[in-house]
Amino acid sequence: MFTTGSKLLVGATLLAAAAAVLYGVLVEGALGTVGLSSAAVALGLVAGVNVAARDSNVSAMDTAAIADAPAARPAPGASLWPLAVAVGGVLVVVGMVTYPVALIFGLVVLLVGTVEWMVQAWSERASADAGYNSELRGRLAHPLEFPVLAAVGIGLIVYSFSRIMLFLSKTGGVAAFGVIAVLVLAVGFIVAFRPTLRGGAIGVVAAIAAVGLVAGGIAAAIGGERELHPHETTGDLAGEGQCDTTDETEADENASQSIAAKSNLAGTVTLGEDGSLVARTAGVEGEQEVLVIGRSNPSNIRFDNESGEERRLVLDLGTRPEVDEAGEVVEGSEVPDQRCTALVEEGGSQLLTVTIGEPSSSSDTPYRFLVPGVDGAEVEVVVP
Amino acid sequence: MRSLGTVGRVPRRALRRRLIAAGASAVALVAAGCAEDAPQDTWQPKGDNAQRIHGLQWPVFAIAGVVLVIVMAAIIWAVFRYRDRGQPIPKQTHGRPALEIGLTILPALILIGVAIPTVGTLLALSETDDTECVVNVTGQQWWWEMDYPVQDGCGGVERPIITSGQMVIPVGTNVLVRGTSRDVIHSWWIPPLNGKRDMVPGRVHTVRLQADEPGIFAGQCTEFCGLSHANMRMEVVALTADDFETWKANQLADYQAPAAETAQAQGETVFVQQCARCHQIDGLLNADGTPNISEPQLHVYSGSAPNLTNLMTRNTFAGATYDLVTENCRDEVWEASPEEFGARYLEGVTAACLNEVELREWIRNAPEKKPMYADPEELEETDAKTRGMPYLALSEEQIDQLIAYLLERK
Repeated sequence: MFTTGSKLLVGATLLAAAAAVLYGVLVEGALGTVGLSSAAVALGLVAGVNVAARDSNVSAMDTAAIADAPAARPAPGASLWPLAVAVGGVLVVVGMVTYPVALIFGLVVLLVGTVEWMVQAWSERASADAGYNSELRGRLAHPLEFPVLAAVGIGLIVYSFSRIMLFLSKTGGVAAFGVIAVLVLAVGFIVAFRPTLRGGAIGVVAAIAAVGLVAGGIAAAIGGERELHPHETTGDLAGEGQCDTTDETEADENASQSIAAKSNLAGTVTLGEDGSLVARTAGVEGEQEVLVIGRSNPSNIRFDNESGEERRLVLDLGTRPEVDEAGEVVEGSEVPDQRCTALVEEGGSQLLTVTIGEPSSSSDTPYRFLVPGVDGAEVEVVVP
Repeated sequence: MRSLGTVGRVPRRALRRRLIAAGASAVALVAAGCAEDAPQDTWQPKGDNAQRIHGLQWPVFAIAGVVLVIVMAAIIWAVFRYRDRGQPIPKQTHGRPALEIGLTILPALILIGVAIPTVGTLLALSETDDTECVVNVTGQQWWWEMDYPVQDGCGGVERPIITSGQMVIPVGTNVLVRGTSRDVIHSWWIPPLNGKRDMVPGRVHTVRLQADEPGIFAGQCTEFCGLSHANMRMEVVALTADDFETWKANQLADYQAPAAETAQAQGETVFVQQCARCHQIDGLLNADGTPNISEPQLHVYSGSAPNLTNLMTRNTFAGATYDLVTENCRDEVWEASPEEFGARYLEGVTAACLNEVELREWIRNAPEKKPMYADPEELEETDAKTRGMPYLALSEEQIDQLIAYLLERK
């Protein structure tokens, strides 16, 4: 009546029940008794099921059961998905107490592993034909697997490329990728003109190239980006009344410092070594003492400091009515209307983007560029 | 009742009619390319830069045409020769390296042959070192502003000149156009003088213009920029050196206030009250004697409105959408000989030539005359500012006075 497995479970049930009684008598507190009693009940339940299922053993005399019983079916194939699920679970736990990225990655691995495991298990039970089962699995999983794997693969390659390019110097990058392009072309020619090459050999070369690229990307990511040219920012300090200071002030992070802006200048204003301030603009030969800037037009002015000291460029637009914190105009009170760069080091440059809404003829005093601390350094600004 | 097998079939006669109609349309389209009175024709260069483009597009067009004919002939021959006549499917072959390499190299050679003169032309057109006159061009919805900065070029400009719709340049002079935009991306294109150049807000783009002879050369914004993109036109007027000096001097002449108690003086008052919020007329004074300074940056989305100081020296208004002169007077200027052109143009708009009908309609209700909003009845402001000229609800008497005043602005 009792099979081998049943004996173990029945014994464990009795042991748990006895332990519960002893614990309740000898030790104070009901928690242990409740726990051991629960274990006895659970073990008894499992023992009952096992007795009913007869340890899933099939009688050697029952030929029909040998063919039909679940235990008679072929063992499931080897699978790495349980391992992936375990890794995902660990990452989730670790991620919850360390880095969110580990948690997210763990959740993804857990989800993917679970789904793949379920699909594989489902397909392996579809029939006794392993080939058919495999095809069935592919029919369900491939439409999802291939695009996702392709996207991940492309992302990995692009990311690796970007890390390598940011790691290498500009010249080194051109040289390295020039060589790589030649190699790709050469391999392409070899493959095209030697059709007898085995597919396996081509696959090995491609795999080596891919691994090399990803390894290079990882190494470059660890090595960090090359030193990029720092883009100084423009200060719009008029509101703070800080244009007239020679102290360093906080720069305006919103100012455009893009290459596009720097390459499309309305004009250049240069402070020379002798303290002279001159303007230049595309299409007009030589230095100018008057710079024309379009009205209501965002204009990029580059300030070149060729003097021996840190200086800032100030666009002086006269005065404007003072506005209080509530945005109301303060009657009878005027404040300087100025735009300026932050302090620019010796030999440095900085961009000042200005939009002037009112023509220069509307001001009692001419609009002008000037440099605080340098007497006579002025360029008149005319806004038609 | 027709059977299912005949549904959708076109009778032979109807098919013939359709073919004739399609053929006639194609012929009409091709024939339209032969029109001589087409001011924006890319095949009629009027300056060095456009001539360079013209010199390139002819051989490229010829090469492309030959390739088109060969390819189409091969396709038609193959389709006809191997059409399905019930024959068995012929033996299929794969891989003809010699043919494949040949059909790769041949197009590559053709492209290289086209690319070399193309790149050379592009480099030549982008040259600006040889320019002798600078004009700033600024696009906004939906008109072009031109200003001449202080410079030694253009025969010397001591004070900025600002105008709109029409750019005036000296004949035979390489003019550097420095363009940008105040709102969205526009594109500057005067086909008889050079190629296109996009005008992007915050950037400065350059293009060189040069005209061989005096005349007017029409252009068009070629980057879709909003509802009235099609109405955003411009013209370049080329004058002889002497005529150009005359034009400059006139643009910089002092403001002449109208005589008191005249319709013009009343028009000046209307202008100050209704128009000067956005439009600048240099030298105009307020009632208290202070200079009148317009504030388009407070009222118009682009932050600017045309400067009307010398409005009647131009031939167009409303972004060159409409002529300021009547059709007959326009034709007299456009069709004047190179020798007579300068004098006719410098006459400006006379009372006899004024296109009063359309100017009056424009002042009466500009949004109806030039689409600026999807629904002109519900003018939707952008950031509390209008796009283009708004409806001002002027009386007919005010319009009369304004026109009388504006007619003297030259």
